[in-house]
Amino acid sequence: MGRTLAEKVLSRVSGGADVRAGDEVMARPDFVIVYDFPGYTDVIFRQMKEDFGIERVNDASRYAVFIDHMVPTATPKEEELHIQTRNWCSEQGVPLYERRGIGHQVSAELGYATPGAFAVHFDGHVSQLGAYGTLAIGLRRNILEAFVRERVSLKVPHTTRINLTGTLRKGVMARDVFHHIVRVIGPSACRFQVMEVGGPGLDHISLEGRQTICGLAMFTGAVTAVMNPDATSLAYTDPRNRISTPAVCSDPDAEYAAVHTIDLTDLEPIIVLPPNPANTRNLSEHLGIEVQSGYLGSCASGRLEDLRIAAQILKGRRVKDGFSLHVIPTSQDIMAKAAAEGLISTLVEAGAFTSSPSCDYCFGRIATMTAGQKAVSTGTLNVPGRMGSPDSQIFLVNAAAVAAASIEGKITDPRKYL
Amino acid sequence: MALANLKGRVAWVFEEENFDVDLIVGVKNIKITDIAELAKAAMETYDPAFAASVRPGDMIVGAGNFGYGHPHYPPLRALGHLGVRGIVAESFSPGFWRGEISMGTPLVSCPGIVGAVSRWDEIEVDWAAGVVRNLTRGTSLAFEALSSADYLMVETGGLLPYLKSQMQTA
Repeated sequence: MGRTLAEKVLSRVSGGADVRAGDEVMARPDFVIVYDFPGYTDVIFRQMKEDFGIERVNDASRYAVFIDHMVPTATPKEEELHIQTRNWCSEQGVPLYERRGIGHQVSAELGYATPGAFAVHFDGHVSQLGAYGTLAIGLRRNILEAFVRERVSLKVPHTTRINLTGTLRKGVMARDVFHHIVRVIGPSACRFQVMEVGGPGLDHISLEGRQTICGLAMFTGAVTAVMNPDATSLAYTDPRNRISTPAVCSDPDAEYAAVHTIDLTDLEPIIVLPPNPANTRNLSEHLGIEVQSGYLGSCASGRLEDLRIAAQILKGRRVKDGFSLHVIPTSQDIMAKAAAEGLISTLVEAGAFTSSPSCDYCFGRIATMTAGQKAVSTGTLNVPGRMGSPDSQIFLVNAAAVAAASIEGKITDPRKYL
Repeated sequence: MALANLKGRVAWVFEEENFDVDLIVGVKNIKITDIAELAKAAMETYDPAFAASVRPGDMIVGAGNFGYGHPHYPPLRALGHLGVRGIVAESFSPGFWRGEISMGTPLVSCPGIVGAVSRWDEIEVDWAAGVVRNLTRGTSLAFEALSSADYLMVETGGLLPYLKSQMQTA
């Protein structure tokens, strides 16, 4: 019986013996990635020293710290946290990436998405590195283990395989594919498993779109998502890889917990209604709901293809008076490219508010909604209170639908503008 | 390996799949840090008399994929303050599972549990036998074994004491 990508990666990093789904292993992460956030990094840095007497992490180059939340700072306390983070990284010799963009995206740009590598984070959206064949798992507070010893305890996950067929129609984007996967297989189908996505349908989805699909994997219950590396992804990762490790793919006869085939041909733009990410519907059945703000950005969207389609829709049009449209490119690199393409000027001329990358729009730290308000968003999550008041509402849609809603001030089918 | 069995009443049954635990205290109360105030808000929309009727050692029963969404820690802190000792559910969402196991909260994944208990039934989680017993009805149901790391984390009281014990024996 063949092995899955996850089994192969975890075999390599847990000593080389052949491990299989269900085995309990001690796995050495190739990369330990975090962003500074109160309750996580400050606590970890303190506990390392005070509870474990550890002055320095083992092999500092394995670690990466991002400052992408609370950017820019709004209180002295936030700045104090960043100072503490800068000092810690400097003392430890750990690479710090500040204000370069949302860490999950910048990680890919900087080569942490090495195919075949094993990465851990506390935040589960790191799963998007799986688009390049990296096994990247969010451990929540258990990330502490990766700071105080070389290996982390892990149960080798089973894998559910999703085969995509067909091509996407105009105005339908990668995040619609993900939301559709949730609709078809359900929000718990991949519980504690790896969601592996492949099939001929994936050939037509960009690397950016693949990151979107993998990055949202947690809403199927998955601990992460992976895609077998292909020529397209290897062309991106080859010049960036940070470590030398063989890229691996799942064997054709690998043992899967389940296999689903999902055809994309007739897929329409999707809207995820409040109050949770399982609430996926066809957008065309929910037109006309009045919305006051729109967010195009986050680690799930906000990449070039998202900015391009929004610019295409908004070119020569205006954001409706009183509507707040925030367009926040996911990384500095993306922002520079978007500027060079003229996308930023098109969006700004239409009335969009743009800023340098920050995670803060996604969780309501800024652009905060008050009770009764509604937003269309390409953020990661639509639970109550995520973008402000618990009595505000979030409708998750693709980038085109955010742009279309900003013109009309209501949920709008973006296909009529394309 | 000697976790003490859990024994107590079923203080509530959440029958909805994909239950968002933030609703236990209500999203508007999620940022309350004072534990007494937080505990006061716990379950008030489900049963205003909950705090008065729950006893130390009682447990919560949940349905499939319990803890889905974006679970925060305060709801379980609040329940713990009121005496709730653990959660038995059909299955758990992984993010919630990891978060709460790291806090030392006993979580028991037990398919069939929702149909096997009623509110205020007396139940026992027998770790060694791998069963949840309904002492009121005289029935029992097998649960899914914890991984050894998760077991030790619950036994030692959470991530920090677990890691300390591991580092000492290493």
